[in-house]
Amino acid sequence: MRALAIAARELQSFFVSPVAYVVLTLWSVLAGSFFLSSLLGFLADEAQARQLAAFGQVVETNLNDSLILPFFGSMWIVMLFLLPAMTMGLFAGEKSNGTEELLLTSPLRGWDIVLGKFCAGAAFAGLMIAIVAFFPALLFLFGDPEPGKTASGLLALFLVSLAYVAVGGFASSLTRNQLIAFMSTLVTLLVLGMLLPFIVDLGAGAGEPSALRSGLGWIATGRHTERLLTGLVDTADLAYFAIVVAAFLLLTRTSVESVRWR
Amino acid sequence: MPAIEVQNLSKDFGSVRAVDDVSFEVAQGEVVGFLGPNGAGKTTTMRMLTGYLPPSDGRVRIAGHDTFDEPLLARQAVGYLPETPPLYPEMKVAAYVRYVTAIKGVPRSQRRAAVERALARCGLGEVAHRVIGTLSKGYRHRVGLAQAIVHDPPVLVLDEPTVGLDPIQIQEIRQLIQEVAAPREDGRRQTVVLSTHILTEVEAICDRVILIDRGAKALDEPLASLTAGGRSLEDVFTQVTFRDRAAP
Repeated sequence: MRALAIAARELQSFFVSPVAYVVLTLWSVLAGSFFLSSLLGFLADEAQARQLAAFGQVVETNLNDSLILPFFGSMWIVMLFLLPAMTMGLFAGEKSNGTEELLLTSPLRGWDIVLGKFCAGAAFAGLMIAIVAFFPALLFLFGDPEPGKTASGLLALFLVSLAYVAVGGFASSLTRNQLIAFMSTLVTLLVLGMLLPFIVDLGAGAGEPSALRSGLGWIATGRHTERLLTGLVDTADLAYFAIVVAAFLLLTRTSVESVRWR
Repeated sequence: MPAIEVQNLSKDFGSVRAVDDVSFEVAQGEVVGFLGPNGAGKTTTMRMLTGYLPPSDGRVRIAGHDTFDEPLLARQAVGYLPETPPLYPEMKVAAYVRYVTAIKGVPRSQRRAAVERALARCGLGEVAHRVIGTLSKGYRHRVGLAQAIVHDPPVLVLDEPTVGLDPIQIQEIRQLIQEVAAPREDGRRQTVVLSTHILTEVEAICDRVILIDRGAKALDEPLASLTAGGRSLEDVFTQVTFRDRAAP
């Protein structure tokens, strides 16, 4: 229960600082523009399909694959850059503010603090996902996308955002400088989500797949997210996100409590 | 049962020994002044009393609870005002104090009353709905004090509660501490440990003086017996700290 008090205070302070408003504004504007560009892309696809149909060829276009999927994919990348700005202050702010001393001398367990902060970050991420969900909701008014596939895409974005909040919170717990927390989160997320699969693919041509390569491929967020985005809900991918979140929360708790045994 | 029990407390930061084998007891209702030059180890000792820092050696019991074996109960029993009050500048005074009741584990039904009592005792009624960041330094110190007393802990630890304030604010804060330490209607008294390097402050509010010099306890006596025979506290202070320095 004490974790809830911490989460509520953190959420309130998000909305007192300009950072939350800047992040939400950028997020909404980018969502709108990426949705528009995906929509234009879809219209071009459709026009092409009509032309081909005139020649007797049947090409199927589909709202989910040609519009929602690229739109969610773009928002995933945007999130990777925006979420660290929200998580950078989670713990570093308490340290630079001197309020860490209040938290650590209160009758709180490490988990109360860590889960409280994580819940605040998760609630903010949920708000971002709700903004994104507005755009496919428009499509339901004017067309008939597949509800299951759309929901699975939103789930992918939400799960990946939870993982990012957990990573960002850990980075924030390591330093009192918010800029360092931001940069290290961004770099970790880039390596974890983007570079790792790239490194794995680089070696793909040479020899048969090694245990190291498939292991690294599994650690990367990219493949799990992509599968969910395309509508494939696999327990293995859900478990992956649960493991990443749990692992980083555990690391964060250790880091928060380390002041007691250092 | 003493309110605070400290046995052979030591703290090392790397190869530097900040606190060296300090032992003392504080009885319930006593007001003890931690006196010593800057850097003597007062803050480190207080941080160990509040459970913020772990001791390298020795043990601390607060209201009978060991800070290592029963950390939550021990921390529950302490109200702590660090040297810089731990405030969130963007919060309003009443909301902040209410948040502190939640993390200190005050039952939900008693929170409103606890907040009102703390605000009233610290003279914050008029600024209850002001944002902390807009308050003057004196008021921020009062908010810090309200935060420390809001859950009505048996032990209060105040680290340099008057540092950086103007003479009038110092008077006000001292008066507040005296009011907090005064016996209540039900006969209970709050135990107060405060650190300072201002000698008049000790003379004004403390029952007992513990002098810390370079990490070690140099003196531990009731104020009355110290100043008996017309000696001023200043003489005692310089005598003890100089004697130590002369004989390394």
